[in-house]
Amino acid sequence: MTTSSRTNSGGTATAGRIVRHALPDRLFHWLSAACVLTLLGTAFFPILGIEFGWVTVHWVTGLVLMAAVAFHVVRVLVRRKLGSMRLGVADVRDGLAIVNATLRRKALGLRTGKYSFAQKLIHHAFAVVVLTTLITGGLMLARIDTPWWQRNPYLFRDATWSMVYVLHGLSALFLVTMVMMHIYFALRPEKRLFTRAMIRGWITRQEFDDHHDPQRWQVDR
Amino acid sequence: MELFRVSRDIYGREVLQGMSWDLLWVFFGLGCALIVGHALYRSLLAPKQR
Repeated sequence: MTTSSRTNSGGTATAGRIVRHALPDRLFHWLSAACVLTLLGTAFFPILGIEFGWVTVHWVTGLVLMAAVAFHVVRVLVRRKLGSMRLGVADVRDGLAIVNATLRRKALGLRTGKYSFAQKLIHHAFAVVVLTTLITGGLMLARIDTPWWQRNPYLFRDATWSMVYVLHGLSALFLVTMVMMHIYFALRPEKRLFTRAMIRGWITRQEFDDHHDPQRWQVDR
Repeated sequence: MELFRVSRDIYGREVLQGMSWDLLWVFFGLGCALIVGHALYRSLLAPKQR
């Protein structure tokens, strides 16, 4: 039996599996990942002495990432899913429980909603940092020639350009650490179900029962 | 280690050029430290989870 239906909170279920990430969301994630890695590589490899013509690849990839983020934002707004990443009282309670269990070295059988406290935090951190790079990078496009416009380095005063460069560089540096952490956690054994869900889309019912509170993530039973 | 890259304009004034790329190793090192720290905690100190 593989008929599926959808609850009001977004979980689609089949006989043995629960859809965690729909195909468009997975495509967005992996396209964004490819763009971010390309942007980091084209930004930092030349600094490390690996010289190549990086500028065109960098700004074109930046435009692709801008389009992907715009698609994601519009999709979330149209489907009215903005609240699924909202940090609520239950998330703060989860966070305190995690800190408490870590300090006391106790096992923590926490069952969360669709997204855990940590997953929401890293999402918001990536949102802030990636949006900062995109906005500042978009402004920096004014300083290069493209097929659509001629460079105009006098768009802003020097002090304004300085802030743009500082914010772009600082957010790129934060991305280095955050991408490393994100990949590390994605590869950890206890997190592989989430990685698989981001690749294939689903988790099993057993994984749902083990990791999620059905009151906080309502899916078909 | 510098925090910022600075140059001078044609009038000799300092102009901020952006973050110092020396910091790349700081952020890379921070990532490595967090990963190693978490891995050590999980393997040596943390109670086994279900």
